[in-house]
Amino acid sequence: MDISALLIAVIVAVALALLFLLRVYNQLVAMRNNVRNAWSDIDVQLTFRHNLVPNLVESVQGYMSHERETLEAVARARSAAMKAGADVAIRTVAEMALSGAVGNLFAVAERYPELKASQNFLLLQEQLTTTENRIAFARQHYNEAVRKFNTSIAEFPRNFVAGAFGYCAEKMFAAESQDQSTPQITTSRKP
Amino acid sequence: MNTPETTATTRPFAPRDPETFFKAQERNRRATRRMSALCVFAAFLMGIPLTLVLTPFFYAITMATAEVVNYFSPLPPEFWQSANNLAKLAYRVADTVINQRGVLDPQELAIGATLVLLPGIALALVLWVGTLLLFRHGGVGGTIASLNAREPNQADLKELQLADAVQEMAIAAGLPAPKVMLIDSLGANGAAIGTSPADAHIVLSRRLLDDLNRDQLQALVGHLVASVGNGDLHIAFTVTSVFETCGLIITLINAPFGKQSRSTLWRIIRYAFRRGPADAESADADEVAALLADMLDMNSTDIDRFFSSRKPGLIRKFLRLVSYPFLFTNLAVELTLWFFLNVLLGPCMALLWRTRRYLADAGAVELTRNPDALASALQRLSEDSTVVAGGSWATHLFVVNPSGDRSLRGSSPPANQQRKALELWRAAANAGGAVLPGINPFSSAGPNPEEYVRVRKEIMSTVMAAVAGNVDAAARMQAFARVMGADPALGLHGMPNLNDIFLAQRGDRAAIARIRMLQQTRYPQGQPKRGQTGLQTHSFVSFHPPLNKRAKRLQKMGAHLTAPTRKGSSAVAKIVIALLYLIIGPLLAVAGVLMLVVIAMMIGLNLMVLTLWLAVIHWAFAQDWPKNIQAFVGFVQQLIAIFSKAR
Repeated sequence: MDISALLIAVIVAVALALLFLLRVYNQLVAMRNNVRNAWSDIDVQLTFRHNLVPNLVESVQGYMSHERETLEAVARARSAAMKAGADVAIRTVAEMALSGAVGNLFAVAERYPELKASQNFLLLQEQLTTTENRIAFARQHYNEAVRKFNTSIAEFPRNFVAGAFGYCAEKMFAAESQDQSTPQITTSRKP
Repeated sequence: MNTPETTATTRPFAPRDPETFFKAQERNRRATRRMSALCVFAAFLMGIPLTLVLTPFFYAITMATAEVVNYFSPLPPEFWQSANNLAKLAYRVADTVINQRGVLDPQELAIGATLVLLPGIALALVLWVGTLLLFRHGGVGGTIASLNAREPNQADLKELQLADAVQEMAIAAGLPAPKVMLIDSLGANGAAIGTSPADAHIVLSRRLLDDLNRDQLQALVGHLVASVGNGDLHIAFTVTSVFETCGLIITLINAPFGKQSRSTLWRIIRYAFRRGPADAESADADEVAALLADMLDMNSTDIDRFFSSRKPGLIRKFLRLVSYPFLFTNLAVELTLWFFLNVLLGPCMALLWRTRRYLADAGAVELTRNPDALASALQRLSEDSTVVAGGSWATHLFVVNPSGDRSLRGSSPPANQQRKALELWRAAANAGGAVLPGINPFSSAGPNPEEYVRVRKEIMSTVMAAVAGNVDAAARMQAFARVMGADPALGLHGMPNLNDIFLAQRGDRAAIARIRMLQQTRYPQGQPKRGQTGLQTHSFVSFHPPLNKRAKRLQKMGAHLTAPTRKGSSAVAKIVIALLYLIIGPLLAVAGVLMLVVIAMMIGLNLMVLTLWLAVIHWAFAQDWPKNIQAFVGFVQQLIAIFSKAR
């Protein structure tokens, strides 16, 4: 009688523990996928910029043909960024260079009044603003996902589960150096 | 000595008590949970009088049916026995509860309570779930169509910016990008509409794009996207369905008596069982929802018309007599719904919705990391007209109250804008515009708030003079418009187009009409039409939090706001207002209690009339009619015989 009650209690306890484990494990998986997804979103936005740059160069070329150096710098930075490969550090540097080159292009374009006044240029500028913003927001989203994940695996009951299944803290995206090197070409968003 | 920086920029709007947006979100989430619990409790409270009306009605209908059935094929005696027992039990329970007499064991009390509450609760639940299921597959097309929304034009800079801002915010929130639609309305407003994040639509008015700069637009879109991400669409759907359920109850009760509710009911049934193209279906859903919302309004319903038609025929008279209890039930239900929706459930849901707005504000700050942008956007919208035409019952979804919120109006723009406006105004005087007599454009050295206010007045009076036909003033305004260029950031928007003024002076009718329209949208007159404010008419508390409260919370999250320059009312006025509140408050409380008493009396009356009705029916069916008629015929024959003898 006593033993059977004890047995039932033990079974219930084990079942509850298993349920808890299952829940936590699934949550962790979902969160880590969230982090990975956010990371690939940054890639998507970077590719978006790569595709935009040739159009950009194309449409300003007519106005500023004797700024060949600037234009070439943009093209070079773009191909370097596209070739940068998977290494995060190298890629970050290359993308930073591209950001700088495009920003420089717009800074130079400020000197051409007829270009500045054209509706087309305004649309282009908006496109550039939004690409930069999208990259920044994708990074912000990534950092937010990492923050949630890291907090979650460090909190008390979960840290055992996370440790047992080999989850460890993900790295945040450090954007300081990048943002400082980007010239402020649009007023839209402060870092 | 006042320097411009210290005077113009940093008069804090409210005491600073910094709070991060994470904390703010957490706090508002907790508030949401509290408010939801309150809503459930309010619905429960509202349900009690409602069931007290509906349950006797339900039993009366059952008993009447049983009588009819019994007349043709007698029911087993057990049925009558148990009905009798139940009635006796109900009487005992009522006696104990109301008169505090007698003793009751808990089991009996439980049975009594179940008997009273269960049919009402079951009915309400069934109707509510039915409404939820009914509108779940409706989608948002109908609402969008009723707003006359269109797709943004990618070649237009502002509309491209909007599309980009929505994409950016969706990326920041990690959501699928909502679809963007534009309304060409005169007011500046926006809403997130949909049933789930997957089919969310962001609807903005074109004027909003013209009035806000990119940052402000982004912040506003951030609010809407955060709202979608927080699951507000689901909450809005639930809130709306509660109102629709109430409308459905009234429709059902009215259905036997008139065309209007019958046709509404018929539309609902048709809508529920018809499967057509998605567009038509969602348009249908919108119409049905609007019909149900209309039923809630306390104007004359079918049943009133049924009982108040002037010259009733004989059949109608008989029907009136038979269906008299319906009138009381109907009145009691409508009164209960009206009172409890407006005073209890509506405000609770409005407050719930307000916490969601604050939550979305904090979410917008999280997404944009720019509290200033949202605060200045709200400030700008407070100055603007926010009317949205044709939103019908969806108006509570809009980001700023469509009937206008001026609580942030009159705040002075930041120092640099003030300085710029002053400089431009002076430049206009130099650039050839003549100076009006009595106005000195070079009165003081540096711009300070008082001077800014003075110059604003000056500009206004110049505009007036220009309209009145003063050539000098007109020239000056023209010069001012020239130097001002197309800078919308100066806070002088919403003034009529200068060209229109000049055209109007020459008698151009179209220009006059345009100016008049502008005036009307800025200062809408009279009551909004029915349906225009939607659910808001069913709650005495607005669904939209006041803008100044939102601004205060944004300031806690780091926004730099300048307080409205509008002077506070004087001490005397404040005392008078406080006294008025002291008088009106108790009066309102008494009115509420009286209303409750009236509802209680209606419930009692309803019960009495139902009992009477049942008694009459019971008596009628207890008679042996064929025998009675024979007796009656015999009696008449006897009478005739007596009369003929007397002849």
